Amino acid sequence: MYAIVIGCGRAGAEIASRMCEQGHSVVVIDRDRAAFHRLSDCFSGTTIVGHAIDEDCLVSAGIERADAVIATTYGDNSNLIAVQLARKRFKVKRAIARVKDSVRASTFEQLGFETIPSTTIVGDAFEQALGWEPHQPNGVLENGS
Amino acid sequence: MFVIIAGGGKVGGQLARDLMAERHEVVVMESNPGKARALQDEIGDAVVPHDASEGRWLIDAGIGRADLLIAVTGDDEDNIVICQLGEALSEGHARTITRINNPRNSDTFRTLGIEAIVNATDLVMTMIERDVSVAPVVHLMRLRSAGLELVEMTVAEGSAADGSTPEELRLPEQGGRISVILRNGEAVLPSPTTRLQAGDSIVLVAQTEFEEALGRKFAAPTIV
Repeated sequence: MYAIVIGCGRAGAEIASRMCEQGHSVVVIDRDRAAFHRLSDCFSGTTIVGHAIDEDCLVSAGIERADAVIATTYGDNSNLIAVQLARKRFKVKRAIARVKDSVRASTFEQLGFETIPSTTIVGDAFEQALGWEPHQPNGVLENGS
Repeated sequence: MFVIIAGGGKVGGQLARDLMAERHEVVVMESNPGKARALQDEIGDAVVPHDASEGRWLIDAGIGRADLLIAVTGDDEDNIVICQLGEALSEGHARTITRINNPRNSDTFRTLGIEAIVNATDLVMTMIERDVSVAPVVHLMRLRSAGLELVEMTVAEGSAADGSTPEELRLPEQGGRISVILRNGEAVLPSPTTRLQAGDSIVLVAQTEFEEALGRKFAAPTIV
């Protein structure tokens, strides 16, 4: 698989390193060159300094032949724009955005974009650790109630 | 109408003041505490000191019943996502308008299906068009300090303007300049030789003292 990872924070570095370990080709994009230090020694891919929604940058990262785009920056909105661009402009099959805001995550999920709702996932993990019932959606999106 | 403005900077603040003066219900969302407080001092409770792209705050602000959502933060990505979120959370009820700060992004946003409206004039125009459609002259903006008015007029059939060019109407000499013609839903940037036709909506920058005289050029001839 040829994957582009946008954002090289903890999560981005983690997934990029893991993908390399599994033998995939990976390009990591981050605005800050220093962020690439987070990549593990196993990382064998390429790094590009650039902005998540800059099309020139995405093209130079090879988005036109990418199988997956994984958007992990700290900004939910940058991630959501990046996956929309990947899907709509570049017809990338899989484009997944990390989204911290649960409402934004479920809204864009319903609009047909893949999201990793990190806050919800952490909440669920804590609940599970405590042995509680699984999380019930609070229903803000159902009929606007 | 009920309007939510995302971003309480210069543009957002001014829009809020204008809309409140027109007696619209307004909420301004501004995540920067300092900016939010400054605006609160001026317009009070209408300011929500939170990020509009945070779903729960947009819901709290009343997106479910909003007629219009205007995203004018300084960040293009935020503006786009705020519009998309607002559209979804209001189940398509709220109309959304945004501006692009960086023109490099306009192609990108068109790809995402965003009809971005790029300048403040268009913004104000779109909002007012929605509510006011009968008045022959709509004041879009008062540029009093400069002695200018931004007005919208419709070219009436048989008026002096019908079939004439701005040059023939001698508009510039008479204190008026057409900035845009709206024809069949399309915006046309006029040259001195663009021929106006009945039904065109024009946005005109006029010197205040000539506004009335200019208005007569676009009105239907009166039968004495």
